[in-house]
Amino acid sequence: MVQDLLRLSGVVLVLGGLIFRWRTTVVVLAAALVTGLFAGMPLFSAEGIWQNLPGPDWIVKSGQPGIINLLGKSFADNRLMTLFILTLPAIGLAERYGLQEEAGRLIRRIRVATVGRLLIVYQAFRILHGALGIRLNGHPSFVRPLVYPMAVGAHAEAPSEEADQQIRAATAAAENYGNFYGQNLSPVQAGVLLVFGVMQGLGVKVSVWDLVRHTLPIVIAAVVFATFQFLWLDRQLRRGRGGR
Amino acid sequence: METFAMIDFVSLLTMFFSLGTVYGATGAVLLVFGVMAWCDRGRRHRLASGSFWIILGLIFILGGVLPHWVTGLLVILMVVIDGATRTTGAGLPRGAEVAEPVRSETFLRPGARIFWPVLTIPIVTIIIALLFRRAGLDPNRGALVGLGFGGVVAMFVAICLTRGTLRELMSEGRRLNEAMGAVNILPQLLASLGVIFTAARVGDLIAAGIEQIVPGNQLFLLVLANCLGMALFTMVMGNSFAAFPVIASGVLVPLLIRPFGADPALAAIVTLTAGSSGTLMTPMAANFNIVPSALLNLRDQYGVIRFQLPFALAIWSFHVFWLWFMIRHG
Repeated sequence: MVQDLLRLSGVVLVLGGLIFRWRTTVVVLAAALVTGLFAGMPLFSAEGIWQNLPGPDWIVKSGQPGIINLLGKSFADNRLMTLFILTLPAIGLAERYGLQEEAGRLIRRIRVATVGRLLIVYQAFRILHGALGIRLNGHPSFVRPLVYPMAVGAHAEAPSEEADQQIRAATAAAENYGNFYGQNLSPVQAGVLLVFGVMQGLGVKVSVWDLVRHTLPIVIAAVVFATFQFLWLDRQLRRGRGGR
Repeated sequence: METFAMIDFVSLLTMFFSLGTVYGATGAVLLVFGVMAWCDRGRRHRLASGSFWIILGLIFILGGVLPHWVTGLLVILMVVIDGATRTTGAGLPRGAEVAEPVRSETFLRPGARIFWPVLTIPIVTIIIALLFRRAGLDPNRGALVGLGFGGVVAMFVAICLTRGTLRELMSEGRRLNEAMGAVNILPQLLASLGVIFTAARVGDLIAAGIEQIVPGNQLFLLVLANCLGMALFTMVMGNSFAAFPVIASGVLVPLLIRPFGADPALAAIVTLTAGSSGTLMTPMAANFNIVPSALLNLRDQYGVIRFQLPFALAIWSFHVFWLWFMIRHG
């Protein structure tokens, strides 16, 4: 029983570590080591130079895979999750020569009558980004400099303080909605690759293309719910204007 | 004769268009980033930071042939470097944090054609994935190999288009890479954590705990436990990627996929995005919810979360319903 609880210490460590904002990499590695050791696993497998080494059980135990061996194997097996590094030079160079400005120009071309409709279109734009496998942090690059000013512009008159605050929050939300659900539409984005790798590690084979396929209903639901919310926002903004 | 040529074509294709090739190319790029950091006199902790990327590059190139314990020790060394110097980027995943690029005004602006390099990546990915499928090879591998080659082709396109130098190309890549920092290796680390949780039978323990509360044959309650667990863990940790290995090994695989024969791809991706619904509701996901509030000068720092709350609850409920419905009737 005590042994069982100790084995859960890794989960507790991850929870606690991330709550207290310790260095994420350190938390995850520590959780792996602590969990393995409490479960009675040795640090190294008894193979290669470790085969006939004398020493305590927690360093080498014959017949049991070592924690560090498992760590190394699974880290190497999951290199696929970090392949996107190969795309960074091209994206970086494109940014240097005005990628963001051009994207901004594209967004500014959107002509819509209301705040809500603008955000519906922006969410679709972000989903498209995700589906193309393009990673970007839209809050600083698009939402603040472009989408928010355009939203205020779409509001017929200068918005009241209250309405303005709501528009600000809504633009940030549109970015998150599009980003979170849209990114799984690409087989090479972090979320899909993480699921692919973790499931493989658990002995369940899945295909990245099936993961993408099954994301589609979720994305459609996200678009529908968001559309409701943004149109509702339009309604509230109209009412707010009439009531003043 | 014709079949022979066909086999030859396929084996050549598999040899060149392989994960080994793209891992090697990624490793080479990482080595360049590392050496550039080493030589960057203006950078604090340049030795530590450079070494971090060089070790990662070596793991990429040699990961298939190194003994696993050596790779494991190298991973530990990377984490120690990151933990000790805190020089390799920021804390939690923030997506590509876009540092202000140095923009040159003297060159001819490529205009809208600047999208070409970026669009090259998905186009090449799809083409190679389709080629793999046509050749009867693993389409998963096709997508990954395609991503790698897409990145390389995009580099050529970017250079031809902008007439930039190789040096510019690599230092811009390095800028983006260092902006993300050690977060880059987090998915790989988390997947390894999942493997060790499985070996230590942590998942079984969690599963046993949940089975004591929820009787084994209650599909709806198990789906609820799965999605609720995922959302709560994500809210507490602020990170659905960190929550997924725990929930997958403790609930999803032992309690839903194995006993009910749920489609693993469907169940897994729905579980992940049930976590995303949690991300929308938590201040722990600061970079998505709190930082934007500051960026937009919201009076209420929880303003973004407050706006997202009804949406998040609705979409989370849809996850529960959809997963239950698809396992029941799918």
